[in-house]
Amino acid sequence: MLLRGTDRAALAVALVDRLRRAGLPTGLTEAGDLVHALDVSPPLTVGALYWTARVALVRRQPDLAVFDEVFAAVFADAPPLPLTRASGPLVARRDDVHVPVPAQAGDPADGGGLPWATLPPAVAPADPTDSALATPERRPSALAALAELPFEDLDASQTDQLGEALRATLTRWPTRRTRRQAADPSGRRIALRPTIARARRTAWEPVALVRERPIRRPRRAVLLCDVSESMRAQATAYLHLMRAFTLVADAEVFAFATTLTRLTPALRHTSATEAVARAGTLVTDRFGGTRIATNISAVLNSHHGNALRGALVIVASDGWDSDPADQMDAAMARLRRRAHRILWLNPRAGAPGFIPSVAGMAAALPYCDRLLPAATFHDLTRAAHLLQEVGG
Amino acid sequence: MNSAEQVRTRLDAVDYLVDDGLAMAMFLALRLGKPLLLEGEPGVGKTAAAKALALVLETPLIRLQCYEGLTAGEALYEWNYQRQLLAIRLAEARQEKLGDADLFTAEFLQERPILRAVRHRGPTPPVLLIDEIDRADDEFEALLFEFLGEAAITVPELGTFTALRPPVVVLTSNRSRDLHDALRRRCLYHWIEFPAPARAAEIVRRSVPGATEPLIRSTADFIRRVRGLELDKAPGLAETIDWVSALSALGVTDLTDAAVVSTLGTIAKTPDDRTAVALAAHQETP
Repeated sequence: MLLRGTDRAALAVALVDRLRRAGLPTGLTEAGDLVHALDVSPPLTVGALYWTARVALVRRQPDLAVFDEVFAAVFADAPPLPLTRASGPLVARRDDVHVPVPAQAGDPADGGGLPWATLPPAVAPADPTDSALATPERRPSALAALAELPFEDLDASQTDQLGEALRATLTRWPTRRTRRQAADPSGRRIALRPTIARARRTAWEPVALVRERPIRRPRRAVLLCDVSESMRAQATAYLHLMRAFTLVADAEVFAFATTLTRLTPALRHTSATEAVARAGTLVTDRFGGTRIATNISAVLNSHHGNALRGALVIVASDGWDSDPADQMDAAMARLRRRAHRILWLNPRAGAPGFIPSVAGMAAALPYCDRLLPAATFHDLTRAAHLLQEVGG
Repeated sequence: MNSAEQVRTRLDAVDYLVDDGLAMAMFLALRLGKPLLLEGEPGVGKTAAAKALALVLETPLIRLQCYEGLTAGEALYEWNYQRQLLAIRLAEARQEKLGDADLFTAEFLQERPILRAVRHRGPTPPVLLIDEIDRADDEFEALLFEFLGEAAITVPELGTFTALRPPVVVLTSNRSRDLHDALRRRCLYHWIEFPAPARAAEIVRRSVPGATEPLIRSTADFIRRVRGLELDKAPGLAETIDWVSALSALGVTDLTDAAVVSTLGTIAKTPDDRTAVALAAHQETP
């Protein structure tokens, strides 16, 4: 017997706590499950304990690696890993009831020397360093003028502001018909349930017929952005575009240079600056070479490939590809068969006398519905609005 | 069943082979009475797991195939409106008074899979398979919460039905869409890995009793290599079983180029894959 005389609850809570600190969204439900599971299946070996804990505590496939690491740190003979978060300060999760209060070494007066920590005062003193909030509102005309500038002439705060403005203008989105129905007087089908319910008022004579029609939903979008060396000037602006799409249309977004990185969860953060910074740390091969065809195939082959079915696919790249052109041709043909519409954003397409003669771009072009310029925020906004007519 | 090992032995008896992880997941799902969410590549045996579980427990399998727009009317229950209208006309003809209580009774209630699982009367609870939950939309997930949490369904007109013995619930997903955390929280989770060649060969041996040993070994090996290629749809276990069945139906005893090409349709499902697999067969078989 592996855990004779162990306090199962304490073990479960301690393990859950370690998993939470490693960034897994485990909670009380999972801890309770583990206690029950240890009760019905007392583990004889570490292997059995591993499976019991894994089935009870982990609820999604990407978390398995983290779980394995934490489990190994606790139960294997290896020295314990530092279980701190890799990036950034500790951010409160949605279900976090306890507010983490960081110990302040230089300011012991707040707690009054008591052995517990009190919450910081609700009204924080004005922070003179927080200049982003203090910046006066820019007039729309000033922003409009900035939007005409190419990305490389903008500084970081201007890019942030324009990114926010771009998100704000994305209000309408192409829709698709779903198989779900909703009541609507102009519908074709008669909704039986509400019709009978209404007939109650008319002595069960169905006088007023309730009609229904299919609901329309925002069409799914998948965005693939090139962040290689040749796209250095555009990379941050494109991260803002990707963030706008994830927030407005629940899009799946990927960045690529030589390898593919999924940025959807990172870019959902409410603060634009924070989201873009997080995405920046996730992409490890930033400003390297480009392998467009390989990365398009990688999306198609991953389980996110199913998200491409019937979706609007937007590829943002200059088309400089180190993969052979016939590979690009094959990948784009596959993408074409799955996607509803393909749009290609090219920062060079707006230049006078532009001809898509780069091998990768030329190979991809026959499969694209539109090739759009994307060198300024104005271009990006226009492209976002074009989606409405292209993707409906 | 008292241990994961016992689950594995019982499943073995119905020719469904499981590894330690899946055995533990099924055992805990049975003992804790929690739904089990299975994820894994297509064709790795997620649906078959639920079928095997029903066989072992000697209980009916109730299956709900998910699709977009699936509503309470197709998954939980529906009123038989035609019969209600007839009853109204009949009451009219007989000059009787008809109230709500007369129209919304069990007589007019049509059971759909989930309500059928809840109202199942029998010595053992049924196995309910909610297949490919990722194909349904978010609204449908929300419909399931009451059932997954309490094994109960509320019909507003009649009241709440609670299962005498909570059904064994297996959900499967291909991860084409991220499931909501609220759904995941209510389930135990297991990720089914694609089995190693030796286990894959053993599974094929059980599924296709007529196949010869060298054929099984060479096909399992070939499939392992094909899965390493860049394919649109890599062949899973289900395809491997189909393929070996096809080969043994044709009386093939060892894998030749010609044999692979003639049965290519069982493992390669797109024109591009057909070319790639045929090329691999050409290079690697005599």
